[in-house]
Amino acid sequence: MQRDTLVSFEGVVKRFGAYVAVQKLDFQIHKGEFLAIMGSSGCGKTTTLRMLAGLEAPSEGVIRLSGKPINDLPTWSRDTPMVWQSLALFPFLNVRENVEFALKMRGVGKAERQRRAEQWLDRMQIGEFAERNIAQLSGGQRQRVALARSLVVEPEILLLDEPLSALDAALKVRMQSVLKNLQRETGITFVYVTHSQSEAFSMADRVVIMSRGVIEQIGTPQEIYRTPRTRFVADFLGSSNIFTGKVTSVGGAGIALQTDSGPMQLSASNAASAPVVGSTATVTVLDTKMRLSVTPPADGVNVVPVRVIGEEFVGATATLYLETAKGQEIRVQKGHEELTGLPLGIGQALFTSWSPEDGHLVAGG
Amino acid sequence: MRRHVTLYGLTFSLPLLIWQVLFFVFPLVFLVALSFWTVKNFAMRPDFDTINWVTMFSRKVFWQAYGTTFVLATAAAALTSILAFPCAYAIAFKLSDNARRWAVFLMVIPFFTSYLVRVYSWQIFLSDAGIINVLLGWIGLGPFHMLNTVGATIIGYLTLCFPLAVLLQLFSLVFIDRTLIEAAHNMRCGRLRTVFAVVIPSARVGLVIAALFCFILSFGDFVSPIYLGGGDPTTLSILITDTTKSGQQWPRAAVIALTMVGTLLAVAFLAVKFAYKGRTK
Repeated sequence: MQRDTLVSFEGVVKRFGAYVAVQKLDFQIHKGEFLAIMGSSGCGKTTTLRMLAGLEAPSEGVIRLSGKPINDLPTWSRDTPMVWQSLALFPFLNVRENVEFALKMRGVGKAERQRRAEQWLDRMQIGEFAERNIAQLSGGQRQRVALARSLVVEPEILLLDEPLSALDAALKVRMQSVLKNLQRETGITFVYVTHSQSEAFSMADRVVIMSRGVIEQIGTPQEIYRTPRTRFVADFLGSSNIFTGKVTSVGGAGIALQTDSGPMQLSASNAASAPVVGSTATVTVLDTKMRLSVTPPADGVNVVPVRVIGEEFVGATATLYLETAKGQEIRVQKGHEELTGLPLGIGQALFTSWSPEDGHLVAGG
Repeated sequence: MRRHVTLYGLTFSLPLLIWQVLFFVFPLVFLVALSFWTVKNFAMRPDFDTINWVTMFSRKVFWQAYGTTFVLATAAAALTSILAFPCAYAIAFKLSDNARRWAVFLMVIPFFTSYLVRVYSWQIFLSDAGIINVLLGWIGLGPFHMLNTVGATIIGYLTLCFPLAVLLQLFSLVFIDRTLIEAAHNMRCGRLRTVFAVVIPSARVGLVIAALFCFILSFGDFVSPIYLGGGDPTTLSILITDTTKSGQQWPRAAVIALTMVGTLLAVAFLAVKFAYKGRTK
């Protein structure tokens, strides 16, 4: 994959009156990548996208597209087509006219317009609906029209603002693969804003996680999933157990902490920067990396006595909900075969443990 | 599902129903009947004679008045729509919510005074020794003959229609989905072009209805053509009064009135059909 930078945000701030929607954004979007910007509502993800589209002007900082600053370029002078959450299809035009709209605005001749529209209608498998009104289409078909309408100009970048949120679950999954394939085949850079972890993680090459107008973490889905960099990210993803305690020693062998759930150890390489002894630190452990046993394991590291408070089965995996003596909830995910032989009745006392390699120290305590 | 007629439902719907029958259906039926009566020695006689229809439809003056009224009403509808649109557009898109409420209030104020009073006040402006000519005289222009012209009639029609047209257009403009406008901008459609490519098509129903109302109001108006136009050229409303005054020809006036009702129904039907053209469901 190419690593050329297509878009860069340099110290971008956006204020609406006294409210700061986005503070000091610094990140790059690579040419040809599928980038997801994820966060809960109000985190500034849509504002970030709208600034890139030219629908909002940054209050501070510079946004560059292919190296050129585009802050002062109105949206109609940029080539940053966007797919809206509401899709924003024109109800007074039929499917074909909607797809031809952007070409018409560029002064593309009628014959050429029809040819290119035809091509995209076929590619999105909506050729047979070309003469229909938008009102006559299903949600999935509208989605395809919106994509065709934006992609017909063959842009370098496509911006998508939660385009799948109105679809039902099954259709959502289908459209995700349509989008992913489309991105791979065309090589167009996709910037995809969503609040859905499953959408972001299943499609994106890189994910940006935002909270309160600040980037919490940027990385591949695997990186973020395995090593959430901040406590917010770990909480937001919900796939890790989180322990907070005081650092008791830092050395070549590892880092030791004292937490409410007992003493813990982790490999020195699992901390972005070495913590100071005596400081507060937070450890995350993926729920799939937690072991369970009836008796304490022999090595005696990272062992927490727990009681079973519930279990949940989804397909081949089970999620066990456990509680420590101090009342902290711990979640463990296991395959069914790993659980055979373990007594799992409610209230059953068990020991959970994990290897020092599986604990990660997050930044900022 | 079967619908039951309940006492509760009747209590609320009957007064309106009775009102409509008494003051709309009955007079209309009577008007139709009246158009077939005959007049002998200045006295009307119930009859069934098509003579009034034949007489009126074969008169050149009737068709001239019809043509004049139709053209004037069309011009008033077109002119009002064109002048009202920038105003409605600015109120809908350029004003804050608070300022928009004030603008709507200002558009309602003209309805507080009688249309007749407003037309009379135009006479003070437009007459040969009126305000406009006096002002123009100060800079060495004029006097211009403005009162009792077609232009003055059109000004009267504008007075009648403009506030209503702005309000009707405004209500269709404020409900336009703003993301459609953003989407157009995003696809390289500049500001002015977006007005024609997106705003007007989106608000089409409201714009056509506004123009239709202007047409209906102007087509039947008596005040402007008589007090500002001086009764020349003759419109259908003037022709009706003339007909009733000359020899008690109420049946012939009924023919004119029915022709107007028929015209308005046809225009309204075509306008609504045009407004919803291409929309399914």
